[in-house]
Amino acid sequence: MEELSRDVQRALLRSDVDVRTVKEVTARIRKRSLEEDPKGVPVREHVLRVVHEELLNLVGEESGMRPEPQTVMLVGLQGSGKTTTAAKLARWFKRKGLSVGLVSTDTWRPGASDQLGQLADEAGVRFYGEGGDAVETARRGLEELDTEVTIIDTAGRHSLEHELIDEMVRLDNAVQPDQKLLVLDASIGKQAKSQAAAFEEAIGISGVIITKLDGTAKGGGALSAVSETGSSVAFTGTGEHLSDLERFEADGFVSRLLGMGDLGKLARRAEETLSEEEVDASKLLSGKLTLNDVYEQLEGVQSLGPLDQVLDMLPVPVELPSDVADVTEKKLEQYRVIMDSMTEYELENPRKMNASRSSRVARGSGTSREEVKELLDYHKTMQRTFKQMRGGGGRNPLKRLPFG
Amino acid sequence: MFEGLRGKVKSFRETVSTTSAARRLKERTLDDALDRLVLDLVESDVAYDVAEEIADELGRKLEGEVGLVEGPGAAVDGAMQQALRDVLDVDGLDVDRTVRGGEGPVHVLFVGPNGAGKTTTVAKLARRYDDLDVVLAAGDTFRAGASEQLGEHAEALGVKMVQHERGADPAAVIYDAMEHARASGRDLVLSDTAGRLHTRVGLMDQLEKIKRVTEPDLVIFVDEAVAGNDAAERSREFREEVGIDGSVLTKVDADSKGGAVLSVVHATGRPIAFVGTGQGYEDLKPFEVEWYLEEVLGAGP
Repeated sequence: MEELSRDVQRALLRSDVDVRTVKEVTARIRKRSLEEDPKGVPVREHVLRVVHEELLNLVGEESGMRPEPQTVMLVGLQGSGKTTTAAKLARWFKRKGLSVGLVSTDTWRPGASDQLGQLADEAGVRFYGEGGDAVETARRGLEELDTEVTIIDTAGRHSLEHELIDEMVRLDNAVQPDQKLLVLDASIGKQAKSQAAAFEEAIGISGVIITKLDGTAKGGGALSAVSETGSSVAFTGTGEHLSDLERFEADGFVSRLLGMGDLGKLARRAEETLSEEEVDASKLLSGKLTLNDVYEQLEGVQSLGPLDQVLDMLPVPVELPSDVADVTEKKLEQYRVIMDSMTEYELENPRKMNASRSSRVARGSGTSREEVKELLDYHKTMQRTFKQMRGGGGRNPLKRLPFG
Repeated sequence: MFEGLRGKVKSFRETVSTTSAARRLKERTLDDALDRLVLDLVESDVAYDVAEEIADELGRKLEGEVGLVEGPGAAVDGAMQQALRDVLDVDGLDVDRTVRGGEGPVHVLFVGPNGAGKTTTVAKLARRYDDLDVVLAAGDTFRAGASEQLGEHAEALGVKMVQHERGADPAAVIYDAMEHARASGRDLVLSDTAGRLHTRVGLMDQLEKIKRVTEPDLVIFVDEAVAGNDAAERSREFREEVGIDGSVLTKVDADSKGGAVLSVVHATGRPIAFVGTGQGYEDLKPFEVEWYLEEVLGAGP
């Protein structure tokens, strides 16, 4: 129990959840796990269920946004992704059948207005971004565009830049947006709390958008932001393209904070088809794949079903590179034959595969050096892909839990 | 600056000094204090694993002192300074000397995650070296408005910028900038690149290619000081996948806690070259270990 609660603490701290929140949550977990009757459920499972519930409470509900006429203002730190998010939101509303306009009021950062203008073209929505005073621009933009949904992009700012905070307050007064969304980089550390508090105090925040969740950052700062602003997460950004905007899913987010992923689902499925030894997700997630692992994994996954479906159940919204996803059964069979011609040393140290080793393996397996290289590329790509799902380092036993 | 980290370090020193009853460092006192120190460092945005390592190292340094030393305050001060110095003491990097000492145009390539502040940093360095003949390469051909952003800086700073149309091959843009610089006898080429997360395999491969084709004298990783645990993770990936000579940490003025400095140096084994301290061209400060230790530890022991 003590150990498990330490593991949970560690996982959350690695995910940038605020220290005080971590302490509070683990205290409540300890209390609840001891008091509540697990009703025949194994202790670990019971504790994890409690952890999950407590974190879901903190994250709040999945609010999303209503596809109806409104004015939205995006605010946040420099470089958090406001402009890209503005265009993604514009596309989202447009696809709901609403007329959308984007207004750039970022008169500070060079090129900001050009950026939003180009993205507006790409999204097929209207745009306004005359330079000069930000407040004046916003006012005129609303008037000129006269669209059902208007999204106001603003300059990046932080809590200590008093002039800029003041400008934001004046913008808020002039525009009176229906939604004021705080755009938060998933990688933000302990600043999430104080910055969110400062924005909340200045204009009042109605929702949070977490960006860049397609990296390895877990977005624990969002918990602080949500609690400081008394709001919830509306969307997450998961890529650089305009379509990479997803409705927030609390369940997956919490699993990811814990470094677990939705492994429960995968485990249940795995149990139906395979024994525990045959699917070792911890190895996949460790980021240190050798060719031996690829070999085992090919066998395991193939009996589980297509790789991309298996990946759907893993922690992160993984964009599986097409050169991994589209590999045919036949190709995989060939990879196995190639690996059968490799020495144990080579299987464990794929990086040592030089030209002469490749030639030998190609001859031995009746393939070509290009095909051997293909396998090595496949391994490299897969290794990189799985790295992004890595939870919090190798010592976290939580990751292995669903597999015993 | 870095008040967060300074406060935590101070409180560790006080705990250990004042709670060891007979002015001797007790083992339990030390263990408890080290546990708390880990949390305190994490609170200041030191990545969790790095914080644990610093605390472990500190524990090893102080272990021998348990029960031996009268007045443990000084021992703690010394050990703490040494533990942080151990992290930060990596092979020196003298950007000024490389930039000013080259024959023919010197090439500095900037890489890093989205929104870290690469373009602004490129502009700040162009200002820093405004006595040299500088060319900017608009190597971010992906993000909308990126070339325009760099172009406005080039105009404001009065330097030449080489660009292609949006979507062009960034390696070609930077190669052209180098060719131009060679042909017209320029001193320094500063190359911007598109921000990318280290999990995007194709984009990381692209950086490798840019590096291979354009042969930079320095590769500088740009990240932001407000990042938490991921600063360690992604800087390590950039180091492994692309290879970097040093880092710039931006947005230090955004009330950053200072911990990212330790995370990034620890993860990359490469020094911090500069920190960004504001939105003006002058807001770029050469990073010095002594300055950082001073900020974090207060006056030396």
